[in-house]
Amino acid sequence: MIFLYSTYNELIKIALKPRSYLGLAAITGLVGIILFALHADGMSMISFVTSSFEQTLRFEGNVLNGNLVAFIILQMLIVHIPLLVALVTGDLISGEAAMGTLRMLATKPISRKQLLGSKFLAGGIYTLLIVIWLGVLAVVVGRWIFGPGDLMVLNSDGLVIIQEHDVLWRYAGAFCVAFFALLTISNLSICLSCFSDNSIGPIVSTMAIILLFTIIGTLDVPVFDPIRPFLFTTHMAAWRSFFEDPMPWGAIQNSLIVMLIHHVLFIVVAMYAFNRKDITV
Amino acid sequence: MYKMKFHTEKTIHSFPRFLFMANTIVSIRHLAKQFGSFQALKEINLEVKQGDIYGFLGQNGAGKSTTMRCMLSLIRPDAGDIELFGLSLSKHREQILARIGCLIEKPDFYKYLSAFKNLQILSRISGKASSTQEIYDMLEFVGLAGREKDLVGGFSHGMRQRLGIAQTLLHDPDLIVLDEPTTGLDPQGIIDMRNLILRLNKEKNKTIILSSHNLHEVELICNRMVIIHQGQSLVEGSVEDLLQEEDQIIRVQMTPDGQTQAIAVLGNQFPQLKYQVLGLDSLEIQLAKVAIPNLNAAFVAAGISIFAMEAKRKLEDYFINLVSA
Repeated sequence: MIFLYSTYNELIKIALKPRSYLGLAAITGLVGIILFALHADGMSMISFVTSSFEQTLRFEGNVLNGNLVAFIILQMLIVHIPLLVALVTGDLISGEAAMGTLRMLATKPISRKQLLGSKFLAGGIYTLLIVIWLGVLAVVVGRWIFGPGDLMVLNSDGLVIIQEHDVLWRYAGAFCVAFFALLTISNLSICLSCFSDNSIGPIVSTMAIILLFTIIGTLDVPVFDPIRPFLFTTHMAAWRSFFEDPMPWGAIQNSLIVMLIHHVLFIVVAMYAFNRKDITV
Repeated sequence: MYKMKFHTEKTIHSFPRFLFMANTIVSIRHLAKQFGSFQALKEINLEVKQGDIYGFLGQNGAGKSTTMRCMLSLIRPDAGDIELFGLSLSKHREQILARIGCLIEKPDFYKYLSAFKNLQILSRISGKASSTQEIYDMLEFVGLAGREKDLVGGFSHGMRQRLGIAQTLLHDPDLIVLDEPTTGLDPQGIIDMRNLILRLNKEKNKTIILSSHNLHEVELICNRMVIIHQGQSLVEGSVEDLLQEEDQIIRVQMTPDGQTQAIAVLGNQFPQLKYQVLGLDSLEIQLAKVAIPNLNAAFVAAGISIFAMEAKRKLEDYFINLVSA
């Protein structure tokens, strides 16, 4: 019961902390800008992409529709959202330590495991809200402004066209996988938060790790080949697999397993460190 | 009004009756803690009895706060045993903490939340969730009525200290631990805090542990104390008993003529006493407490006009002698 109370407390703190709204505001602003840009000049951008296919294909109907807009938004923003997540979740332990409130929490009759567990859960819920908000803005508002239509996706294998009736469930799946990927970021930043007594450290460290892993993942150097499949950043874009035809279920499953291993690893390390942490601030 | 409840009304954490009857609330044996190469605690031993106002006395960095933090499981000791309410802290942490209210160092709260919200959040995980009315009553008790909805970020240090006391008392703990509770308070705030501590002890029968480097404060409030120096508990016991071990030093003020006469009386009738001449009209005399009436009678018999006779702060001397030794 005390775990649920503590989780409720954490959610209240997140809800009443001004910083929590930075992420939502940033997503709203960025999506607004992208929607405006596509509405104003989207067709010329689409023409630029489709021009290479125009000799072999003829495009009919509304190509720049809500589904394509949502895909573009996801593609553009999913890179930035880890920062917005880490901004709040990286602060959950270290921010309390910096403020001095961790001292008070740690003298209450709740075990440290429960206290930390409630922070992981609250961080996860906040991440989910961020993803849902992005989904609402990208899919719902995108379709509302640009209307429905078949989704045209350009990937490494070529052009994939997904029919309108086949799109929404793929978005649902893609957002679930995107949430799972962002949850890795949330758990990583909370884990790092256990080792720091200032709120900036874990946020910067999280971004540094993402940057490092992304560079390792994208560098075409054979020496990194063995470790690349095990980096969580390699699987952050697994949501894109939902827009391939045929859909690579095996690859999606593999990505989810790798990310799940990272979740467990971050939680176990955090629990161990926080349980043994001397609260001296 | 704030209403304190009796132990028997507790339902959340029930303890065997004999534990309530037990006299010892806190027992610390051979406590040691090292931070890197710094040995913060070497050997701390102490015992706090039910109903005590127990003082942790020591210089800055002596190990008072570290000992308190170990008691509250904020810091894991390297060695030693800590028992509270007859239970081992390492095995019954949550049960024990449910019965403790504490204010460690400065009172820190969520600045972006109101005083009410801060207390509400902390009360939910304190083992006994308080109702809205109880929180309002507590805020009134500590003198923060009317400021319930104000953000803590705008509170002065004194107000935060009061809020800290409110969160300490809200779940009606049996043991209250206060780390330097008067630090940063204005003179009136210090007096209010002292009175509050005494009231909680006398009226609500709370056992209180407080740390201080202010000797006068410990002498005024505490009935038992431990002196901690360089991570070691040097002496422990009743403040009165510890001070009885040494002679009293009294300062006697008189006329300049009286001073000459008094020196003669001391030389003739009390040759064993040590004394020091202070200026032209005062003497500082070291003697046993029981000998003070005799000395006074001798001065009066010699026709010396005594303007004042006051005991010097004994704890100060006792402390300085002890730590310098």
